[in-house]
Amino acid sequence: MTPDPNERDLRLAEYVLGTLTPPERAAVDLELAVDPAARAARAAWDRRLAPLALAAPEAEPGPGVWPAIARSIAQSIADETARPLAANDDRIGALQGSLRRWRLAAGTAAALAAGLALFIAVGPPRPGDGDGRYLAVVNSGGEAPALLVSIDTRAGTARVRPVGAQAPAGHSLELWYVGAGQAPKTLGLVGTGAHGVTLPVKADAQALTAGSFAVSVEPEGGSPTGQPTGPVVYSGRLIRD
Amino acid sequence: MRASPSRHAPPADDPKRSDAALARLVAAVARRDEAALRTLYDRTAAKLFGVILRIQADRGMAEDVLQDVYLRVWQNAASYSPEAGRPLAWLCTIARNRAIDGLRRRHEVQGPVTEDGEDWVERLADPHDSAGAILDGHALRACLDRLEAMHRDCIVLAYCEGRSREDLALRYDRPVSTIKTWLHRGLAALRGCLDGAA
Repeated sequence: MTPDPNERDLRLAEYVLGTLTPPERAAVDLELAVDPAARAARAAWDRRLAPLALAAPEAEPGPGVWPAIARSIAQSIADETARPLAANDDRIGALQGSLRRWRLAAGTAAALAAGLALFIAVGPPRPGDGDGRYLAVVNSGGEAPALLVSIDTRAGTARVRPVGAQAPAGHSLELWYVGAGQAPKTLGLVGTGAHGVTLPVKADAQALTAGSFAVSVEPEGGSPTGQPTGPVVYSGRLIRD
Repeated sequence: MRASPSRHAPPADDPKRSDAALARLVAAVARRDEAALRTLYDRTAAKLFGVILRIQADRGMAEDVLQDVYLRVWQNAASYSPEAGRPLAWLCTIARNRAIDGLRRRHEVQGPVTEDGEDWVERLADPHDSAGAILDGHALRACLDRLEAMHRDCIVLAYCEGRSREDLALRYDRPVSTIKTWLHRGLAALRGCLDGAA
């Protein structure tokens, strides 16, 4: 991404206009997920052009649309209540409180391209761990966490454990770290089991919290370009509780 | 004032569609109130469907997009805040995004451009809107009118009909890179005009 602010503003204008190519659009989706300034610039373009959208002549949709929406919502409510929290992991329970607080704080910032809100909360320090360990819960808007990312800043490693994250068929989920003002660096694919990754920054907590984590949907086996190409479905920052 | 066309039923100045009424409904949807979503649908679906149909002309696909839009509203209502703009504009943004995402994902080639960008600009003067919306519409129209005609038409056709750079390159028989340059010049001039007028 070029750092030229005018260039970036016009890229976001073209995003709002809808004229970016699919890879350009996906890159902006990631930018929006991790960068509040990009979200503000996009919102400004939405506001400037909104009267043109509001001027559209109305058209009645067919009678089948609302029943289909009602069915999908009933299904999503059933899914949410049927999927129990991972009750065997007491760290999740301990994090629910801070997760809820962050949800309130993150509400407006988390209107993501993929339509999923995201929250990473840093867990309470555990005795003996000192300041070096962080636990991030990445969550897709329901109560159940999608990913647990535990980070050891002293060792410079992270452990990624998928809990409820599911890649669409034929695709992989890829985890990215985006340092402040830098291009995304891959932390590898989100597998079905826990795995460790090495953090791309010589990580003290301060450097890490200046950046963001994001998960994008990629072709099976990961991004072919080394940069995110698919929609960002989860993202968030490490926040000190 | 123009004669009121029949397509505006219910009119946008209907108190049921005031910013405050719609914002209350969105807040209720955020609290998982299904009845509120139904009411929101009844009051806004025709508007959003109109926005989607201009971009996705196939009615069946447009209805799929509309369905997806209200599911996203159900999931994301909590992220709405008045700073994000008027509630109806926020809903229109979601609808446009979903329609364009679908179009670009399928690499769909749209039919030939038949309408002129000017026709869309004309509609900005809609006597049925609320006072604030009329002011916004007038400012945008005045600034669009100052752009070079081809720059303006590219912006308006892209925004209103979801035309890609390639579609516009075909229409104007110019390279895609020229269209991109036109869009950037037009958008930069539009930004200067609108922000200067504010």
